[in-house]
Order: sequence, then C-alpha cells, then structure tokens
Amino acid sequence: MIRVRRLSHSFGADPVLKDVSFSLEKGDFVFLSGPSGAGKTTLLRILYAALPLQAGEVTVAGINLSRLPASRVPLLRRQVGVVFQDFKVLPRRSVEQNIALPLEIRGLAPKHIARRVMAVSRALGLQDRIRLKCGELSGGEQQRVAIARAFVVNPKVLLADEPTGNLDRELAYRLMELFKQFQAYGATVLFATHSEDLMRRHPGAYFMRLEKGRITAADWPGAGVFTGGAERIAGRDAGGRTARLYPAGRPGRAGPAFPDERLPPDGSLSADERLLPDLPRQRR
Amino acid sequence: MKRIILRLIGRGIADLALDPAGTVGALCAVTLTSFLAGLFFMLLTTLDIRLSTARGESIFQIYWREGVNMELVRRQWQEYVHLPGFRSVRTYTPEQALEELGRRIGRAGGELDKSFPFLAVNAPLPATALVALSPTGPDPERWFEETLTYFRTQHGVARVTAAPLQDEFARAWKRVGNYVLWPAAVLLLLAQALSVGNTVRLAVRAKEHEIEILQLAGACNWYIRLPLAAGSAALGLAGGLCSLALLLLLQDRLGEALNFPPLSLRLHFPSARIVAALLLTQALTSALAGILAVRK
Repeated sequence: MIRVRRLSHSFGADPVLKDVSFSLEKGDFVFLSGPSGAGKTTLLRILYAALPLQAGEVTVAGINLSRLPASRVPLLRRQVGVVFQDFKVLPRRSVEQNIALPLEIRGLAPKHIARRVMAVSRALGLQDRIRLKCGELSGGEQQRVAIARAFVVNPKVLLADEPTGNLDRELAYRLMELFKQFQAYGATVLFATHSEDLMRRHPGAYFMRLEKGRITAADWPGAGVFTGGAERIAGRDAGGRTARLYPAGRPGRAGPAFPDERLPPDGSLSADERLLPDLPRQRR
Repeated sequence: MKRIILRLIGRGIADLALDPAGTVGALCAVTLTSFLAGLFFMLLTTLDIRLSTARGESIFQIYWREGVNMELVRRQWQEYVHLPGFRSVRTYTPEQALEELGRRIGRAGGELDKSFPFLAVNAPLPATALVALSPTGPDPERWFEETLTYFRTQHGVARVTAAPLQDEFARAWKRVGNYVLWPAAVLLLLAQALSVGNTVRLAVRAKEHEIEILQLAGACNWYIRLPLAAGSAALGLAGGLCSLALLLLLQDRLGEALNFPPLSLRLHFPSARIVAALLLTQALTSALAGILAVRK
C-alpha cells in the first residue's frame, strides 16, 4: 500500500530524510516515532504529495508519486486520509459540512452524502453535534470531526501527523482507539507521534523510528510483540535499504470490510448501499 | 456536473456571509475604489456633454451705453431671434443686471437697491445681451467678423465682446479627449481593476486555511476556484452597484451646485455604456482575482 525506496529530501542544504526505505501493506498499523525535527512530518507530507519528490521512489495506494503530475494530485488525496495535530477543520462550518466535504468533492448525491455522514458521525459519537459549528466544539471533538472527515470516504491509507499532540492523555487514548478501528476496515495507518506513552499502551502495534532523517529502529522495547522482529527489519540500521516492518494482516486485517469498500470511480455508492454499521471493536 | 457547478457558485456567494466583518471591509474598499473611478467618469461625461452642447457656438456679449432708449434696445433684442444660426439669447436690463449682481454678492434678489436706494433710481449697469449663434456659410471666420461688425454698428451699442473660442475649445477638448483623457480613463479603469483585484485577492487569502483543507480532501483546482471566483465576482458587482448608488446620491445632492454662469455645469451621470463597463470590469477583475489568489 505504501512503498518507499531510497527516499531522500532536503530543504536547501539541510537534508531532512536520508535514504529512507520501507513498505507497508494493506491493514498495517505503524507508529512513526522520533524526536522533533527527525523528519516525520516531511515523510508524511511527501506521502500525500504536499512536498515534491526529490530523490527516491514512492508509491502510495498504487500511485507512483515520481510520475504524478500536479493535476493528478487530487486523485491521490482521495485515496489518502490525513489527520493533523491542529485538526484542520473549518471552524465556521458545521460538523456535518466538515465531514461531508470529501464526499461533496467526489460529487456524490446529497442523499447519499447525508446517509454516509450520519453513519460515520454515529460511529464517532458526533451525531448529537452534527449541526454545531466546528469552532464551537472542544479540541477532542474537533479532532474527532477531522478523523470522521478522513474516514468518511474509506481511504486506503490514513496518515496521522501527531493527531493527539494537542489533546490530554485520556482523550489521546480514546482517539487512538478510533484509529485502530480504521485499521479494522482495512486501512493502512501510519501514525506519527513522539509520545512513547501512547505507543506503550498499544504494544501490538508496530513502529518505525526516525532520527535525523534515517530509520534507526523498528522495534518496541519490552513489548515482546516484535520477537524475532529484527530479521524482518531489514532497514534497522542506517545502511538498510528496505525496512519491511512486519507482514500485513496483523491487527484488524480480518476486520469487516466497509459496506461499499471503495467508492466507485463515478463517485456513486454501490447499488446495495447500506448505512455504515457502528465500527466494530478491533479483534486482537 | 451542472448541479455541482451551480452548487459551487451558490456556495461561493453564500460563503460571503461566513465572515461578515471581512466581507463588509472588502465591500467598502471595492465600493470606494469604484466610486472614485465613477466620479472621474461622471466629471468627464459632464464636461463632454457641456462642450458638445456648446460646440459650434460663438457667444457675443453686447453692452449698450448708459441712458440709451430701452424701448429701442428691446426691439433690437427681439430681432436677434431671427438672426441666421440663432441658438439662444439672454438679456439684462440695467435693473435686471443690478438684481443679478445683488444675487451674486450674496444678498437676496432685489435687496441691493433697498440697501442703496440711489441705485434704484440710477442703475449704474448698462443693458446687456448674451447672444449665442452658430456660424453659417462656408467660412466661419468671415462670418464671425461680419456678425461682430453687425452688433458693433447697432444703435446705442457701446461695446461687444465675443468668444469665438467655443468651437475651437470644443475641438481642442475633442483632441485632448482622444489623445489624453480617454486613454487616461482606460488607465484609470485598469488601476481600478488592479486595486479591486488586489482587495479581493487579500480577502480570498484569508481563506487559505479553508483552501488548504479542500486541497487535502482531494479537491481539484476548479472545484476550489469556482466558488472563490463566484463569491469574488458577487463582491465586485455589489461594490460596483453600491458605488453607483453613491454616485446617484451625489448627483442628486450636488448636481446643480455648479450650474451657474459662467460655468453652467450640471452633473451628468455616466452613460449606460460606461456604467456597464465599470460593473463588468469590477465583476470580471474580482472573479479573476479570486481565481488567481489560490496558489497551486
């Protein structure tokens, strides 16, 4: 789902990413950790084509970014959901309008949009706030709106850039559960954080550590999940070319498919469109 | 597709209400810029109409001697109407001239002689006539000399001043108009476009956050730009209409302020063509600014 080969990036003379390689399959959930300035955000921005590819090869959801003209970037973004630390919701628009945004962009009929928005907002516990303006919501609720907006189109890939950075610990844990539910629907999640506490609470998840632009580790000390993980982590040391972190299909891989798993190219929903069920708990 | 386009246009216009303070600020800026441009066109139109009306006229101001027989003078005035090329005549008896003078120096008509009773008995001003004629015949200069001689040789006439310049002035105005004023007007229209465009561009820049989110959600360029263009065009058009309303108000209140001799200028509203050009420029440049404000 995400393949990165020998990716390097620099801002002026400052290299930010150096020869980064890894690949993630459908349904993988990976924590991307590292100190501030390690290159996490730059990596994510390259993955959703907010930064141009300078060196290396990147394929996201089957789209090769090195051959992606600017006019096709929106098509990539429709396959990739992004959640940010600062929420990036539209404060003057209602929760409903915020969540509906990606569906409207796809040109779906209003009745389909309404049904889908309602289903997702129910799943994220926003159904009572649907008419409120986002600016009137708390930080945690705004982040849930942002997640709902990313989730409503059932993206193949979900990129999260420190989405819990502005939230208190309890709220962060609760939102984390939502991300894991994403994974249950088969989305590949790359979750950037520097909160070790958050990672410690999810020992089943995998992680990749970036330091000074290089993958320096892909392990989870003390969790025991990665027993024997070292041999899977070909890129554990700086000289590695591929950091295949773990085989796909770990947590949530067998989770239920989204009712209409992918939006068809014409933007309409499938013929037997059903309302989204409440998201199931992740099976572990 | 049509549904989406209409929805986006509607949204762009409706979005103006999301930030009332910003919209009102931009609207004021656009209105004032447009008003200034409109004012320039209003003055230009007024001058143009005034000079076009006066074009081809020669004005003769005739003064009679003091103590002349007014009955004779009145008969002469009646004859002027039958002169070839006659356009208009304004006449003043010594009393009327005094009254006019009284008005000019700030007193109510007819009060000057009450303040100075001896003036009523012995009005110091001569009888006067202001005759406007159009040249006849193939040689206007010769016609002018002959007409001047005609007035000078009339009984009781002390002095004649003439303004053969009207025609030349109108021709000069036409030349200035062709080479300076209308190009300047086009330049002004351009400046107005730039100014309005920049204002709108700044207003759209305030929506950068929203634009970024739309881009992240996979919106393509036209999807982002169409509502901005529609909203900006609406803003530009509204500003244009507000400025026209202000100009109408100005014309209503000050239209007659300069309408006294020798100026005799009545403010004229710009022609429908100019008004349409103003509105169109405003709407188009605003829409364009809305489109260009979005960085790729």
